[in-house]
Amino acid sequence: MMRTYLPILAIVGLIAAIPFAVTSNTALNFVVFVLIIALGAQGWNLLGGVGGQFSFGHAAFFGTGAYVSAILQVRYGLNAWIAMAAGILLGAAVAWGIGFLSFRAGLRGSYFALVTLAFAEVLRILANAVPITGGAAGLLLKLDIGVLNLQFASRAAFLWLALGCVAAGLVLCRWIMDSRFGAQLVAVRENEDAARALGVDVLAVKLKAITVSGALTAAAGCLYLQYFLYLDANIAYGVWISIEVLLAAMVGGRGLVLGPLVGAFTLHGLGDLTKQFAGGIPGIDLAAYGTVLILVVAFAPGGVLGLLTRLWTRRAAAQPAGGRA
Amino acid sequence: MTIWKTPLGRRAVLKGSTAALATLAAPSILRGAEPAPIKVGVLQPITGALAMDGEFGRTGAEFAIADVNAAGGIKSLGGAKLEMVFGDARSNPEAGTQEVERMQSEGVVAVVGGFASGICLAASQTAARYDLPYIVDVGVSDQIVQRGLKNTFRFGPGFGTCARTAFDNLARINEAAGKPAKTVVLVHEDGLFGSGLAKVMQQELPKLGFEILDTIAVPTPSRDLSNVVLRLRSLNPDLVIPSTYYGETVLLARTMQQQRVRPKGVYGVLNGAASNTRFVKEFPEAADKIMDCNHWYDPRKAAAQALIKAAAAAGKGWNYNLPLNYSCVGLLADALNRAGSTDRAKVNEALAASTWADHVMPYGPTKFVDGQNQGAAPVSLQVQEGAIRVIYPEAFSDAKPIFPARA
Repeated sequence: MMRTYLPILAIVGLIAAIPFAVTSNTALNFVVFVLIIALGAQGWNLLGGVGGQFSFGHAAFFGTGAYVSAILQVRYGLNAWIAMAAGILLGAAVAWGIGFLSFRAGLRGSYFALVTLAFAEVLRILANAVPITGGAAGLLLKLDIGVLNLQFASRAAFLWLALGCVAAGLVLCRWIMDSRFGAQLVAVRENEDAARALGVDVLAVKLKAITVSGALTAAAGCLYLQYFLYLDANIAYGVWISIEVLLAAMVGGRGLVLGPLVGAFTLHGLGDLTKQFAGGIPGIDLAAYGTVLILVVAFAPGGVLGLLTRLWTRRAAAQPAGGRA
Repeated sequence: MTIWKTPLGRRAVLKGSTAALATLAAPSILRGAEPAPIKVGVLQPITGALAMDGEFGRTGAEFAIADVNAAGGIKSLGGAKLEMVFGDARSNPEAGTQEVERMQSEGVVAVVGGFASGICLAASQTAARYDLPYIVDVGVSDQIVQRGLKNTFRFGPGFGTCARTAFDNLARINEAAGKPAKTVVLVHEDGLFGSGLAKVMQQELPKLGFEILDTIAVPTPSRDLSNVVLRLRSLNPDLVIPSTYYGETVLLARTMQQQRVRPKGVYGVLNGAASNTRFVKEFPEAADKIMDCNHWYDPRKAAAQALIKAAAAAGKGWNYNLPLNYSCVGLLADALNRAGSTDRAKVNEALAASTWADHVMPYGPTKFVDGQNQGAAPVSLQVQEGAIRVIYPEAFSDAKPIFPARA
């Protein structure tokens, strides 16, 4: 039982040690950003990877988490930790609402993808227009360093906080996938009609998945807010974050617990390394990002982790035969 | 290319590189008593949606650094030269933050730039963690200077000042022409600056005697504005006020030209195109007589004229980002000179106490209150015969307004 959690423990331990090995704030800042993306991608992965419901609108949850937390702090002076909890809850509630409307209507595949995209866009336009979100001027959280305000003087402290959230997300996903609910979710992904015939309440399973998924992505939104302290409609509900979380999960290995984390580090890590070595050319890191994407889509449809597993099993299979692999 | 045809011998390479290494390794005194260069962070978005503006900003900063160095560097620091550490803010706040972190690790003395309000807000906040002086070039959001940050200085005018000046100038231009304009249609982009301006205009313009017929929001980017122009045709306003970025303004002006919609005037506020030479050069007929209230250089200053010549000689275009960034780097050089140190607290103090007048903007000597330069203000411009002229205020103007543009 505990053995399934060992890889999570190992990778989390490894990342937690980064601040001891690296003191450069540039590197720590990079890791924090990647962790925030990874957390959002875990949300996407639960619904899209495990459940097979491809969403193009996870920005709706990311943005709701961030905005709720920001509005409660800026307008009502609420404590940052409570505001974050409220943001996560409301993100989950919005996810449930969107899920209820679209799943009950039986939307699947690209129709579901399009409707989630539309929900996120509607929220973006609303957030850009109504006064409570600060309209297009956005919301600015006051720089006020203190543990109670969820703002830390050192980048390392924030890294550990974000890592804690990511670890909680990993454990949650692992636990779900080992549970009855996880098995039902996979059944729905593989064949919805067959799952229904076996007595799985498809709507309930999908709703549960999208709600947890929304909560995880909303948590990423709250972390983004606490880290960058500024939000506007294009940051919170922009298409960029929907695509970012989707890509991280796909590149890492969709449907695998560690997929989003590996994917986020692969995509951004390679991009950033290119920038370090060829910094003079503007946009070179974006070109590297694109290349990784094309390579993964073309040669590793199971993502980086899928590819590694494939290579590993091939080697393991070749060994007993005494082959030269 | 012939050089490479003769292969360099191993010994020649060894000799050469040993000599080079020896020179580099020698203490700086032996290489001439040049003090270590002072690193200046220049942050501009040069990829993504704001790439064009970022390029103008970078060019301005480059010219300023070259000029400061040519004039003997920072005198109080033994003639130390400025050295640019450039960061691409990639048109989003995260990248801005990441680049400021990198600049901090490379030991810059200050950061200049940002361009967009969102980038400026995030980047200056990151700089504040290190007490690193941050000079905002354009970012007009008034939140930038309302956070009580001790390290953030904005040389240019903020949103409130721009809006107020724009309306006052418009009312005066209209009055001087015998009040031909009574009705107005606002066309604005739906982001921070467009919708913010539209809101202020809806309150302020009726007080100045204008009737607002409609307020039309357009997204950025827009690919087609035919419907907006059809709406303009049916409303037939005296004045069209576009607050949009470059692409949309060009599209609007060209569609109006094609559909022969000719109001008495087009008056942009902080418009992205009406004061960009590229627009005037590429579409002279569509741009003709368009007015704009925007950041602009002071045409009477010799330094400004020299800068224009230098930009033209280097084959660079011209818009306000260039002189603004040129001046912001100059402001920093002046502060470094007075501080006589690269100590951050001292540079921040010197910036706050700055009374610098050698910039190329029509602002007068700098005076910072809570990080905002009090003299900063936009001017009203008009495209006349293929050139951008200052038409208001008269103290800086080099042309008279042509209004109404079409009788």
